[in-house]
Amino acid sequence: MVSSGNNAGLSAHNSQLMAARVRSAVWFLIPLALLVVIWAGVVSLFEVNPRIFPSVTSVWQAGLESVFDGTLVRHIGASLWRIAVGTTIGLAIGIPLGIAMGVVPAVASFFSPLVRFFSVLAGIAWIPIATLWFGYGFGAITFVIFNAVFFVVAYNALLGVSSIPMQVRNAAASLGAGRMAMIFEVLLPGALPNIVTGIRTGMGFAWRGLIAAEMIATDLGLGYMLFTARDFYKTEVIVLGMVVIGLLWLALDRLLLAPLERVTTERWGMVRS
Amino acid sequence: MIVKRANPQPGLWNKLQMAWVRLHQRWPNLAASLPFVPLVFSWWLTAWLEVFPRAFFPGPGDVVLSMISLIYKGILPEYLLDSVTRLIVGASTGVAIAIPLGVLIGMSRRANTVLWPPLLFFQAVGDIAWLPILLIWFGFGLTTMTFVIVYTVLFPVVLNTVLGIRSINPDLLRAARSLGASQARMIWEVVLPGALPNIMTGLRNGLGYGWRALIAAEIIVGTSGIGFLMFDARRAGSVVEIMLGMIVLGLLWYVVDAWILAPIERATGERWGMVTR
Repeated sequence: MVSSGNNAGLSAHNSQLMAARVRSAVWFLIPLALLVVIWAGVVSLFEVNPRIFPSVTSVWQAGLESVFDGTLVRHIGASLWRIAVGTTIGLAIGIPLGIAMGVVPAVASFFSPLVRFFSVLAGIAWIPIATLWFGYGFGAITFVIFNAVFFVVAYNALLGVSSIPMQVRNAAASLGAGRMAMIFEVLLPGALPNIVTGIRTGMGFAWRGLIAAEMIATDLGLGYMLFTARDFYKTEVIVLGMVVIGLLWLALDRLLLAPLERVTTERWGMVRS
Repeated sequence: MIVKRANPQPGLWNKLQMAWVRLHQRWPNLAASLPFVPLVFSWWLTAWLEVFPRAFFPGPGDVVLSMISLIYKGILPEYLLDSVTRLIVGASTGVAIAIPLGVLIGMSRRANTVLWPPLLFFQAVGDIAWLPILLIWFGFGLTTMTFVIVYTVLFPVVLNTVLGIRSINPDLLRAARSLGASQARMIWEVVLPGALPNIMTGLRNGLGYGWRALIAAEIIVGTSGIGFLMFDARRAGSVVEIMLGMIVLGLLWYVVDAWILAPIERATGERWGMVTR
């Protein structure tokens, strides 16, 4: 960023930056608005049966209704709470375990097929057994999210630690770094770009797992909202739910995960293509 | 660790490490399956000691027995074939749509402005959220499941194709054009080969997601397939068959990913001299 010394120049630069950002946001929204216009046009022109696809106004009304009677907020709250709890537990166990496994190269190469096998299974495939072990509800769904995040993050942490050049670790050790300093100043920072990539992938699996699990195993949450609407052919609620799911994930991914990934990879000077 | 290595007499630990490294170099597949031995053993031990009730946590023996009986009855091979066929049909359709779309978006600025935002949005909606409305449209059948897989595979491949095209050195494009290449030849001989490593990465990611989407679709739509096998077993309360389903899924995907997709990805990456990391 070019700072031009005086305040006026700086604020002019900032407002230019703001303008560019607003412009790109508008250019992002125009095609989506166009899509809504086409949707409205097609539905009214061909008189599509509302049981097959809803009109824009009916989705809007369903949205307003569910906002005012509080059901939408409750469904979203339940889904986000499950994601938050599952992800937190997954990270809290996955990162330390992955790093611990990655410290010694031979141990890392021993464990990596195992962790990889389970990260391949992570998420949706656990739904049937999770519902048997924990019963329908919060426990089973949170478990599915937890294991989607846990295995993918642990695998990536392991990969990250074992990709740190041995010279760096030797250098730190010969400069007298203790065990703690080694972990917090060499291994963890070195593995961070991989860990963050793992978090993003794992959250992607977890989000899908959440929706699938909620369709099967609960009576609250976005997936449940979609699936019960299907029973009554309420397509407007289904489409509303899909839009909400899309917007939530877009917000989560763009505002939280992508910046996190960008910051770590840039900070570590590992910008890829 | 470092201090130990400086030791003139290698300890047992170091010898073990060296032996492991040598084994790993000579028979990588054998070495990769070795860690599963203690896992299966501890699984067997936990089940044998009945730490958890046997109905909730069966041992490996029970799972193998149920596998043999399901293979004998012909259920397991049939379901497996169903799942794999769905995945192949869905994935190839997805790729057939995704690559041209990606080339279009990557080559044309106008297509990019119009198509990129909806693409991101629909990617965010996610395959599984489409299931309820697909069930209304197409009912419980093959169309629903194929649609879900096509949808899942589509986005990673499109996004990565675009990324790959963007990362092609513009000098190459200019050189080809100044040598008189037509648009079609440009795409065929410069753009697609240049983007191939990224396309492979996208395909691998897409199949990873598509695989999960297939399981979810089979659980919810429920007519046949490994996902259905697991959910049917869940209804009957048979943990043995659920575990069997998970193991089959894991093994199958592990084989596909580690022995087919990863080598192809590595080969294209190396062939094109673009080794990542």
